[in-house]
Amino acid sequence: MGGTGHDRLPTAGIDVFTGGGEVGRDLAAVDWESTPLGPPAGWPQSLQTAVSILLSSRFPMWMAWGPELTFFCNAAYRRDTLGRKYPWALGRRASEVWAEIWDDIGPRIATVLGTGQATWDEALLLFLERSGYREESYHTFSYSPLRDDDGALVGMLCVVSEETERVLGERRMATLRDLGSDPSVVRTELEMLTFVGQQLSRNPRDLPFTLTYLFQDDGRARLAAATGIPAGHPAAPLTVGIEGAGEVWPAATLARAESALVDLDDAGLPGGDWPEPPTQALLVPLLRQGAAPYGFLVAALNRYRALDHAYRGFVELAAGHVAAGIASARSYQAQQRRAEELAELDRAKTAFFSNISHEFRTPLTLIMGPVQELRAYLGDANERVREELDVINRNALRLGKLVNTLLDFSRIEAGRMQARYEPVDLGVSTAELASAFRSAVDRAGLAFEVDCPPLSPAVYIDRGMWEKVVLNLLSNALKFTFEGSVRVAVRAEEGQAVVTVADTGIGVAEKEMPRLFERFHRIENARSRSNEGSGIGLALVKELVAQHGGTITADSEVGKGTVFTIRLPFGAGHLPADSLGPAAGAVAVSATADPYVQEALRWLPNGVERPEVASPAPANANPVKVLVADDNADMRDYLVRLLRTAGHRVDAVRDGQEALVAVRVDTYDLVVSDVMMPRLDGLQLVAALRADPRTAGTPVLLLSARAGEEASIEGLEAGADDYLVKPFSAAELLARVRANVELARLRTHHARWRTALVDSLQEAFFVCDENGAVIEINAAFTDILGFGPEGLPYAPIHPWWPREEVDAEAYQLVADAFATLLRQTHGSYTIPVDHRDGHRLWAAAAFNQVVDPDNGRRVIVGTFRDVTDEHYAIQRESALAGLSLRLSEADDLADGLRGALDELHELWHARYVLAAVFEDDSADPAVTATDPGLRWAGLPEARRETLTALRDRPLLTPVAERTAGAGIVLEHPRGTLVLWVELGEKRPFTEQDRTLLALLAGHIGQGLRRVHQIDQQRETALALQRAILGPAELPIGFAVRYEPATRPLKVGGDWYDTVRLPDGRIGIVVGDCVGHGLPAATVMGQLRSACRALLLQFASPAQTLTALDRFAAQLPGAPCATVFCGVLDPGTGHLRYSSAGHPPAVVVDAAGAPHLLDRGQSRPIAVSSDGPRTEAEFTVPPRATLMLYTDGLVERRRYPVSAGIERATAAIQAGQRTPVEELADDVMTRLAPADGYDDDVALLLYRHPAPLEIEFPADAARLAQVRGALRGWLELCGVDRIMAQNVLVAAGEACANAIEHGHRDAPAGRIRLSATATVEDLRLVVVDSGRWKIPQSALDTHRGRGLMLMRALMQEVTVTTGLAGTTVEMQARISP
Amino acid sequence: MTTQLSLTTGPRSDGVMVLTPVGEIDMSNAGTFAAALAEALGRAGSDQLVVDLTRVEYIDSAGLAALFEHVERIQLVAGPLLAPLLTIAGLADLTTVEG
Repeated sequence: MGGTGHDRLPTAGIDVFTGGGEVGRDLAAVDWESTPLGPPAGWPQSLQTAVSILLSSRFPMWMAWGPELTFFCNAAYRRDTLGRKYPWALGRRASEVWAEIWDDIGPRIATVLGTGQATWDEALLLFLERSGYREESYHTFSYSPLRDDDGALVGMLCVVSEETERVLGERRMATLRDLGSDPSVVRTELEMLTFVGQQLSRNPRDLPFTLTYLFQDDGRARLAAATGIPAGHPAAPLTVGIEGAGEVWPAATLARAESALVDLDDAGLPGGDWPEPPTQALLVPLLRQGAAPYGFLVAALNRYRALDHAYRGFVELAAGHVAAGIASARSYQAQQRRAEELAELDRAKTAFFSNISHEFRTPLTLIMGPVQELRAYLGDANERVREELDVINRNALRLGKLVNTLLDFSRIEAGRMQARYEPVDLGVSTAELASAFRSAVDRAGLAFEVDCPPLSPAVYIDRGMWEKVVLNLLSNALKFTFEGSVRVAVRAEEGQAVVTVADTGIGVAEKEMPRLFERFHRIENARSRSNEGSGIGLALVKELVAQHGGTITADSEVGKGTVFTIRLPFGAGHLPADSLGPAAGAVAVSATADPYVQEALRWLPNGVERPEVASPAPANANPVKVLVADDNADMRDYLVRLLRTAGHRVDAVRDGQEALVAVRVDTYDLVVSDVMMPRLDGLQLVAALRADPRTAGTPVLLLSARAGEEASIEGLEAGADDYLVKPFSAAELLARVRANVELARLRTHHARWRTALVDSLQEAFFVCDENGAVIEINAAFTDILGFGPEGLPYAPIHPWWPREEVDAEAYQLVADAFATLLRQTHGSYTIPVDHRDGHRLWAAAAFNQVVDPDNGRRVIVGTFRDVTDEHYAIQRESALAGLSLRLSEADDLADGLRGALDELHELWHARYVLAAVFEDDSADPAVTATDPGLRWAGLPEARRETLTALRDRPLLTPVAERTAGAGIVLEHPRGTLVLWVELGEKRPFTEQDRTLLALLAGHIGQGLRRVHQIDQQRETALALQRAILGPAELPIGFAVRYEPATRPLKVGGDWYDTVRLPDGRIGIVVGDCVGHGLPAATVMGQLRSACRALLLQFASPAQTLTALDRFAAQLPGAPCATVFCGVLDPGTGHLRYSSAGHPPAVVVDAAGAPHLLDRGQSRPIAVSSDGPRTEAEFTVPPRATLMLYTDGLVERRRYPVSAGIERATAAIQAGQRTPVEELADDVMTRLAPADGYDDDVALLLYRHPAPLEIEFPADAARLAQVRGALRGWLELCGVDRIMAQNVLVAAGEACANAIEHGHRDAPAGRIRLSATATVEDLRLVVVDSGRWKIPQSALDTHRGRGLMLMRALMQEVTVTTGLAGTTVEMQARISP
Repeated sequence: MTTQLSLTTGPRSDGVMVLTPVGEIDMSNAGTFAAALAEALGRAGSDQLVVDLTRVEYIDSAGLAALFEHVERIQLVAGPLLAPLLTIAGLADLTTVEG
């Protein structure tokens, strides 16, 4: 490098490089004078332009200029391409800069300079030495000519983009993609390795050569594949040791699943696409999941690329493909081997069976022949004999069929199947075969559809084989179909005959489908009509169809059914010519079909499972009860016959499940059960029986065809009492039965007696285990709840619990009771339960914990009885009582309705109860609800519609809405009332609920009507009362109150009255008539008027009352009224009074001391007596309060009247600072009981002196008179002279102001002065109709002084000036 | 009905001129009172005038205003009823309380 002189100063004209960044600075530093171009200052304009374009471009560019093609480049070119040649290259000859590729580019540049034509090269491979080694790189570039200022060609510009990454990436991706491409053709490991080798060899640039070594068992690695190098080359030994040094490849490292990078120094190694050999190889393991690697891949590396991350990743991925290929090839191999082994096993099995079968045929023939003859010969023998012969015949047929099938197989396997194919109409012949099965299908209760129209052209079949195909499929369909249909159809489709046999049976699980046609494969645990079968039928069908050149497929879905589809070619072209024959015409099918049909019929119930025939009366009075469980009808019948003959009572069932149910319903002395049965086999049956305490003691005798010590031990371990292997003799069976029964009878005598006792109980009886599961029940239990012993044990949550999602409340009741049952040693509860048929019951249960003496376990024994009727009767009664009480307490209609709704709400624990009263058609109904926020408009639309619709329903007929609530219509005094009980979700409205609702609604209707009548009377009485009493023109200083009782019908006895007498005194009266309601109100009115008139006449309380006695004596209802009558002088407070049996008036003085006015007391009105009525006197002291009242104020149950009077007195004492009007309210409120007065109350208060009220014209001459009145009132108030003087001056100033200022503009105005006293202060108010002015002139000085005086003399002064006038309020505290 | 007031002026035994109003003084007769006061002052010449209020039952700010016009030349005599008022009005310095 070198050539640039850093000590040299930049020359002039260096501007050309500005803006070129670092490259510009380095260009400026070049010793240009030593180049042909000379100093930049002297460069032609064209060069300067070219350089600036170059430097300012961000696209990679270089250029050459001048005779030596001096090199320039920009920053982008430096970065992408120039590498370590920068800045050395700047200012040098291009041929020097790119010496290593000059052979490639030199001619191109010469062309450009020679012709002026630009060049274009795409992804040209160039070996650059920019990174310290010869590097494989790819460039797309264009050379364009550059001209000097005169237009002569003097240089070239190269625009270039490097594409090395793209080219390499695509190449490697292609290899990986090819490696992963369609491996379906690859089967063996060798094929796979060949395939891999082909793919790897197609990329000799990245992989100059590869070696694939696989580890062997002998501790060496074997060369399995090689690319780019011949096997056996020194670098490609056929084997490599794992142990020891000196090996070509470090296999030991790879065996540890580690990679290795190996340097190569063999000049003779092949270089792939490259001229020189690789210098390194990367060895990567062929990884195997969860085990040591399969081997390793040696990849010779491209010496022109560095082993970067991408390159290493590529090699590892390639190795991964190889490893995956090996894995799949090996697993395929293993499967293949296994399949072959299985096929071999099948062949061996078939051979074995066919050999055996041959041996069977002779004895079978010798059985069947004589049996047939015997049947004919003994045709009229007794039934028993014929039945036995039938059994022999049927089972011989079955055995023969099995033997024939096995023989067919061996023939097919050996290729010795003697077929004779004849042309038939497949539709017709299939329909004939199907018809043989019709009776069996009918008896199974299935629909049988045979859709086999004539079909042409003819199909060549071997009749014998075809029959087996169709019959096997039909037999299969019947065996696995319990409801629905079996369908056989024949069609021509796509040039083939298609036969389908479809059923709606249990179907085949997807995972079983692949093995469906496998020989001896049986689907475990499938529900079927019989557990018998060898698993060979479908396999035979498949073979037979194949013999015909056809195919069979199956489609199935569990629970939906199965469809078998057979496709046969038309014509005979596919069949060997020597096995064809002419059509033979119809042949009866029954001979072949018979064994199939007979067998199928035996699976089906024959209607009488407990044949009475051949059932002799039991020999002894206490017969042994035996239950036989076997799925084979012949065996079942045989056993039943045998045991009945021995005098036992026998029931028979077809499988373990039926046996379990039978044993739970009935008690048996012995169960005889086959081991192999569908649904529940013998061993499972024993386990189920032993698990249930009720049946644990029932002895079980198992029968099985499986011989051997192990099988019997298995049976006995499961809990069977005995085990018998088929075949067995009748005598042996009977002996075992007898022994087991006797043993069990001894064992269970006690238990039987207990069961009989429990069953005889009238109450339901149950036993729970410690977890609450019901393990024993009696007959009454089943009678009450509908749940029988067959369902035992009933684990919690028991099926009779109300369902939580339907009735959460009832569920909770039961859940709580259940918790009690488990927790406590004894107890009782009443709970709702659901009968099996769904109806609701109430049961009262009692339980005790006891310890089972047999096993020491804690059990719970309980009984219960049905108390449904009692429960609902109580509920009804208490609801009615509650409702009646609420209605009788109601004050008015609204109150009554609210009360009724509350009762219903509580009774049903409803979400809300609502009453909508429809008064007329147009308006919305008036809604009352237990939820006070509920309005008609706030109800959901649907609910409003329900309610409106209900309105037109018949009265008192409940309408329940499922899980929402119920409504009913009743009469309301104001219209139609629709009542709605909203139960909310999950609450059923039961029949009892409906009855109750109807009953209660009837009561509500009546109750509301009664309340309404009472209410109306009361309203009238109250109106009358108020009309009589008011509006009273009370004299000043008085306050009165009347309050009717809150309970109904308590209106109308009491009154108050004040009468202004001509002399200025005031008559005051408070009275109380006997009785209530309208009559009492009428009497009261008359007494009051009379009393008033008499007071005016006599002005004496005693005389008034005496006269009233005479008046009342004539007035029915008036005698015995009590009256307090007084005459008050408001000027002095002097009171004369007389009482006719009335409670005493009370005076509370300013000091708070009470005075009872209890003199002048005499008999009630119009009650005959000797003495005259007397009078008493009392002077009401200043600022004292007088109280008159009726007994309703003070009488309380369980308290003396005196206590009430004290409380009333205390109320006055507390309110002495309160104006008398407010005090009246306070007293009424304070004495009212919590739920209102239960008797009516009249109250009259007087505060002495009465407030002063003066109104006078705004005239100074009136001031003296006003002062006089005020002075007198102040005296009545009992204030001292000094204070009186102060008040007088203050009031005088206020009045003077009012005259002087207020009425300057309107002299005719009036002024009002009022003065009020309470116990501790005086309050004065002066009101005028003018407006005061703030004092401004000297003239006003003394007025200002007036205001000052008022403020100084009184405690509080406020002046309020408004448009209507000025108000002065003044207050002065009275010193005690 | 006008406010009752009688006014008497005459020298005391010691020769000091005394104005003696009897009754009530309010805005309706304050003018009369003021005139009597002026006349009595005239009679007193340069001597102090004593206004004896002991038999006045009521006096308001109009009456007090008449007194204020001559505070430098009068002495007041008042009973206990009026004394607090005169004190509040600021005439306590001139006032002798009697009775």
